Amino acid sequence: MPDRPCESGFLLRQASGGGFLPAKRPLTWLVVGLATFGITVLVLAALGPDVPRAIATIATTSFRTRNGFVQTLLKLVPVSLMAFAFTIPLGAGKYNIGGEGQLLAGAIGATAVGLFAASLPRPLLVPFVLLVGVVMGSLWGFVPGWLLHRFGVHEILTTVLMNFVALHLVNYVAADLWPDPFAGHPTTIPIAREAFLPLLLVRPPLHCGPVIAILVGVAVWIYCCHTVAGFELAACGANPRASKVFGIDVRRASLSSLMIGGGLAGLAGALEVAGVHHRLLEGMQSNFQTLGILTGLIAGGDPRRVLPVAFFLSVLEVGAGALQRTMRAPIEVVFLVEAFVLVAVLVSDRAGRWRS
Amino acid sequence: MTETAAPILSMRGVAKNFGLQTALQGVDFELARGEVHGLVGGNGAGKTTLMNILYGMYRMDHGELKIDGRPATIRSPAEALRLGIGMVHQHFLQVPGLSVLENIVLGTTVSRPLTMDLTVEARTISRLADQFGLALDLNEPIEGLPVGVRQKVEILKALYRDVRILILDEPTTNLTPQEADQLFSTLRQLVSRGLSIVFITHKLKEARRACDRITVLNEGRQVVTLPGTTDQETIVRAMVGDRLDPGKSVLFTGSRGDETDRVSPKEVVLALDRVFVTGEGPIDRLVDISFEVRSGEIVGVAGVARNGQGELADAIVGLETPRSGTVLFNGHNAGHNAGLLTIAQRFQNGLAYVPDDRIRDGFLPTADVISNLILGSQDRPPLSRAGFLCWRKITDTARGLIDRFHITVADLSQPAGDLSGGNIQKLILARAFARQARLLVAHNPVRGLDLAAIEHVYQELLALKRMGSATLLLSENLDELMLLSDRILVLYGGRIAGTAARGAFDRYELGRLMSGAGPTV
Repeated sequence: MPDRPCESGFLLRQASGGGFLPAKRPLTWLVVGLATFGITVLVLAALGPDVPRAIATIATTSFRTRNGFVQTLLKLVPVSLMAFAFTIPLGAGKYNIGGEGQLLAGAIGATAVGLFAASLPRPLLVPFVLLVGVVMGSLWGFVPGWLLHRFGVHEILTTVLMNFVALHLVNYVAADLWPDPFAGHPTTIPIAREAFLPLLLVRPPLHCGPVIAILVGVAVWIYCCHTVAGFELAACGANPRASKVFGIDVRRASLSSLMIGGGLAGLAGALEVAGVHHRLLEGMQSNFQTLGILTGLIAGGDPRRVLPVAFFLSVLEVGAGALQRTMRAPIEVVFLVEAFVLVAVLVSDRAGRWRS
Repeated sequence: MTETAAPILSMRGVAKNFGLQTALQGVDFELARGEVHGLVGGNGAGKTTLMNILYGMYRMDHGELKIDGRPATIRSPAEALRLGIGMVHQHFLQVPGLSVLENIVLGTTVSRPLTMDLTVEARTISRLADQFGLALDLNEPIEGLPVGVRQKVEILKALYRDVRILILDEPTTNLTPQEADQLFSTLRQLVSRGLSIVFITHKLKEARRACDRITVLNEGRQVVTLPGTTDQETIVRAMVGDRLDPGKSVLFTGSRGDETDRVSPKEVVLALDRVFVTGEGPIDRLVDISFEVRSGEIVGVAGVARNGQGELADAIVGLETPRSGTVLFNGHNAGHNAGLLTIAQRFQNGLAYVPDDRIRDGFLPTADVISNLILGSQDRPPLSRAGFLCWRKITDTARGLIDRFHITVADLSQPAGDLSGGNIQKLILARAFARQARLLVAHNPVRGLDLAAIEHVYQELLALKRMGSATLLLSENLDELMLLSDRILVLYGGRIAGTAARGAFDRYELGRLMSGAGPTV
């Protein structure tokens, strides 16, 4: 046995729903990588474009230009936060499929503050914008959590339904409540300049969201692996009955996991408003929920892996955008690649276990 | 069937590995026609693994298997049955909604599949039952039958499938002494009519009573095959090697070593007063239960499984709220009315718990060993401070427990689900004893443990008693209760059917109370 204190690997792993562990063998990863690459080539070849150029576009857009890299970092912020919004409840055995609604709720809250609390001094205003985003997101997580706690309504159903509530609310806010009459699309008027996120880089603009995402990553890691609450969450995910028998309040744990997840998704929404769009706009949720779930699963729930995986998927996403623009290839190629990476990771996990 | 000189079954050089773990290694086993052959050994000795290989649940890595002197390969239980090998598992595989008859024919081809008219089958089974002295009412629903009867159903099930070799895995686990006696005479009837029986057990007394020969396994190796008349000490030596000194053992001397100690009256740690518990459904699962457990006292609760023991433990731990009555724990009311303690509060007040169903109630299968060892103690010093886990302290504690309880683990971050049943039980016990509890509620604490580990648990229980803790020991093993308890309560049908104080224990009297017959006087 090693002499250093053992920091339970289980607590890291549990965040992915328990037991799931990406294979450690480099060979497995090589096979996964080659297989993914092979499928990508086949799909691209079937669709027609010049395959080597297409692959080069996907792989290098993020790194060829400064703008490409900044776009990638900006994408990484909501993707990683949405990954945490999924993995933290999953660690407690709860499926949060409502990240999208929680993100939008956070965005609505942030917009409201940015519009109506603009007289606050800037050092207070920006944190307030983000805080209200977190609170709104966590409220969106609280509703399913409470319905589960009180009536045992399954959280998959309620989190998904809460997405629809948020989508309609965004529509109402952007089209009817505070609409921008000059936009051709449901959009609110812009928030006050003072509520914008501080920039790390001016040209191209890069807001401080990536720093916040990294801080959140560290906080989630501490929470999962070094706090009693994180331990209890993981215990509930591993065996709710035994956790209850040994004194853990299981229902409270699942409620709080959904609220924390919702809060992080809400933060993502607030960052998008205060950092990127500077207003609430319909469709701003993009495909972040799907990417977040993919990221969380590929990372095996390990908070230390979420950021690198989110970066990897952001590179693919930015590359896909470029592919669509320059070669008119369908963006769905990249979804295929992402989905295949996930399947390959899951399969490699099972394969690794069968062999032992 | 040709009559040959070869034994009905012979296994030679059997080896089986699970991953890096060696389960069996060069084991020879031979079953003669018409004998009861005991297979004894501690946890992880490989008894059940060996028989699971024979029954087609596992494939062996090396070795050969001969039935009637002819080489055979068995790839599934269906193939085993075709060769005339049947197994009665420790946990019966019976369908609750069906009758005895339907349970027996389930999975076989019936003569009238469209109408499910089972008259022909019923006649065959009745004849078998008469022939082997297993009187049964075939039309009764299976649930609600006593365990002893349900076991007869399992045996009939095997006989109906024409088995010649019958494997019984720990068949006496849930039986009263009377039911066990009956089982042993049934076994004699079976062998007298030509069956050959493998009897897996870790209880030596039984093995010596029931078996013609005994094969001892120790850590996956076959140690020796002895006649059933061999003295206990020789068998014990073969089973445990040098891990235990029978001379100093609580288990083998049959004494706690404190018979002369004066037990002075101590404070009451747990008091139940007129407790009624309703489970699911309208029937009270516990009826008018009142007793006290004092500091420095071990109170045993005897009874056949599912006579209210689970509900009693649940009411004390706080999983079940009594319909009426009070549970006083350390002076706090933990009953149905005001002052209700949460489960967490009871743990904070010095409760330790070893649940009966360890996998369901006590264990995080996907979690690592270290997480399992701290479950229930994670929320206060020294293992955590101000909400943060102290991993250094946790690691030290976990290592200490693994040494103290001889838990076989690769390392602390090994997933606990990979451990053997005995090691899981040790882990749950270690966690409970680590708490130095004011009140320990232990339900079948040594189930699945080997002799050396059982001895260790008994020593720990007695040490806890000496330290002044109160223990409520719920067990289906009368020997264990008589050995350790200061008092024994017998539960039958959710009521206390009787009590006996140390010095006045009589196993047949207790057995009568357990079967609901009431006291003889």
